[in-house]
Amino acid sequence: MSERAKILGAVWNLPREVSEVKGKDPGTYLQFNSHMVTFYQQTYGELSRFFLALRAGRLIGAHCEKCRQVMVPAASWHCPTCNFAEMREIELPHRGVLAATAPITIFPSASFIGDAPFARGYVDVATDAPIASFLPSRLRTTTGLPRPGIFVKGVELKLVFEDVREGSIRDIFWVPMKEVPAALRDAKPLLASKLDFNTPPMPEVARDAAGEQALARALAAVEELAAKVGASPRAQKDLAGRTHAIGVRTGGGDFTLHVADARIRVGAGLPPKPDFVMVVADAGVFSRWVADGSLTDAAVEGALWLPHKEAFGVLPILDRLPRSVRRDAK
Amino acid sequence: MNKVAIVGAGITDCRGRWVEATYWDLFQRAARRTLEDAQVTTAEVDSVVYGIYNDIFEHQAIPESALTGHLGMVNKPGTRVTSGGATGFYAMRTAIMEVASGVSDTVLCIGGEKATDCYDPQSKSATPMVIDTIAKSWDPFFEYPLGATASDSYMQMCMGYNDAYPDDIGDSLVRAKIIEMLCRQGNKNPFGQRRDETVTVEQVLASRFIIAPFLRLLETCMYTEGAAGVLFANEKKAREISERTGVPPIWVKGMGAANESYQTGRGGSYKPLTSIVSDRVAAERAYAMAGVRPSDIQLIELHDAFVAQFMITMGEMGFVPLGQTRRLVDDGIMADIRELGDDRPPPKGQLLINPSGGLIFGGHFVGGSNMFSMWSARREMLRRHLPLALIHGTGAINAVFGGALVIELEDGGVR
Ligand SMILES: [Zn+2]
Repeated sequence: MSERAKILGAVWNLPREVSEVKGKDPGTYLQFNSHMVTFYQQTYGELSRFFLALRAGRLIGAHCEKCRQVMVPAASWHCPTCNFAEMREIELPHRGVLAATAPITIFPSASFIGDAPFARGYVDVATDAPIASFLPSRLRTTTGLPRPGIFVKGVELKLVFEDVREGSIRDIFWVPMKEVPAALRDAKPLLASKLDFNTPPMPEVARDAAGEQALARALAAVEELAAKVGASPRAQKDLAGRTHAIGVRTGGGDFTLHVADARIRVGAGLPPKPDFVMVVADAGVFSRWVADGSLTDAAVEGALWLPHKEAFGVLPILDRLPRSVRRDAK
Repeated sequence: MNKVAIVGAGITDCRGRWVEATYWDLFQRAARRTLEDAQVTTAEVDSVVYGIYNDIFEHQAIPESALTGHLGMVNKPGTRVTSGGATGFYAMRTAIMEVASGVSDTVLCIGGEKATDCYDPQSKSATPMVIDTIAKSWDPFFEYPLGATASDSYMQMCMGYNDAYPDDIGDSLVRAKIIEMLCRQGNKNPFGQRRDETVTVEQVLASRFIIAPFLRLLETCMYTEGAAGVLFANEKKAREISERTGVPPIWVKGMGAANESYQTGRGGSYKPLTSIVSDRVAAERAYAMAGVRPSDIQLIELHDAFVAQFMITMGEMGFVPLGQTRRLVDDGIMADIRELGDDRPPPKGQLLINPSGGLIFGGHFVGGSNMFSMWSARREMLRRHLPLALIHGTGAINAVFGGALVIELEDGGVR
């Protein structure tokens, strides 16, 4: 069995050790490495029907004939509002509406490091029912990194099933209906492999004179930063071991940010084989970056478009450079 | 119910980590300070209620069992309460009811947490493991597997509120200004975790995102290790203790609690995504029991898990209209501690909110945070001669647990 298939990988372990630790008060104290973990063969119990249905490519809810509410997921088979009247299974549509604008997690918990940024939210599936619960859901987009403006309240969503399903809430996710080709919108189930999440189309940016001026200023600032990186051990340490050719498309034109040999360098136009291309209407984002701003924030807020989370992982390193350069200049 | 008074309170230093003390010692320190404050011996305490949120943090499945002897509570009743973020509130409610019912004359309510001994081997730091441990408060079937955390869950409520009321909590500048004010207040708390920190609006706006788009690092509460105690007594005992200490009793006037459904939804009994109904219902119940209105209250210790939620809760509890909670800043409703000083009540029309620095600057040791708020409210009432105060607690997924206590200083503190 591979490491990945195990519940806990080797990274989740610690050496058997008692070590010294210093706190706020004088004196040395001891700490011991330990754990408090149990393993489970957790029964799905009455929820099994819901997860069996997911495995079969179906979405089911529990319906109460008395109050006509629909509970999705089918978390109980007895209606809590009708003195536990029996609820019956109903088949639910594979389309829904986002009940509220979804938050996007940037800094995840230990178990989800590497998944960020990701969006989760509540989907109203039984839209015809007078009373209905919302389905806690993974939200994905085929248009690049999740960012504000995509998963907003009321957006129509299409249910998508993973091709290989095990019986988990992660067997399903939702994408904006408008991203689903018309021919696939009624597919039940629609499988993830039918949609392309890996090569999102670059957004269009209008080119104008103001954009060109903003780009000229930004490039001058980035060139200046590049020169300073050459004299900054801290910045070079930030870049150590990294090689990237990052294409940048702006409202003033394109350029390439090369990262190699612990240096950054600006190149003209998009590279023939970029690691990835980022897109921003206002090249001023790069001027602000050099002046201690944040490319990460620009991506999180949606101004800077990125194709995937791997691209997002590069930004914190770039964001460190202006600070490192400044500290070494002191 | 019989009259119930707060006759003593004590807290430990709030720290990011206490390597110098286990939770046994933290609870003992807080108990010692509480009893010293009330000038009572352990023999005079009839019963104890523990607020401890999470067994995993304490690294022991019945943590309160180890405390019985350490706190001098052998052969007395001991109840442990755990209700998520609202653990402290619910522990106090339990203690108050025990006195109100006549079962006990004096009850020590003590809560705390040892959160940051948790350690994530992957990032070689505590925080992701602390977040993960709290995330285990979400169910293993539907919510936890999606990467749910306390932060994104509370932010979901804030996003839902923002859908209903745009242009209120969504203004990051308004939120940053509140943070700056809370920081200044936290600087005045001698036990506060971040009492030596200065956080400016600019720093808030430049701090990294935790959850987009409404939560940056400097807008969230801390993880704290510490403990806090409150001693509750019936009227007879309260008068006796007050004679001893020369400190007037503070009476529990109103108490309200409400928990919403775990499941979100539309209609019926489902949790709506646009409001924190639990806060509203809890506060309204507390006001009704106390016979007061929000406009009678000028001192609030509010459970500020996140600053956007702080704003919504102020709206839900009736201090500012929902959708216009930014008036706390825009209209100067939130008193400026620099103008107020250390011993004056806020002028008419202004509110003193979280003079402790709240959970964002003062400290958030989950099981005892609301006792920490009670400690602060009592301190401010006594030194500013404020007749009324409100203490609020929230917790669990999507802020579904809510609690509120209205307390009253005897004779407005005039003796
Ligand atoms: Zn029913």
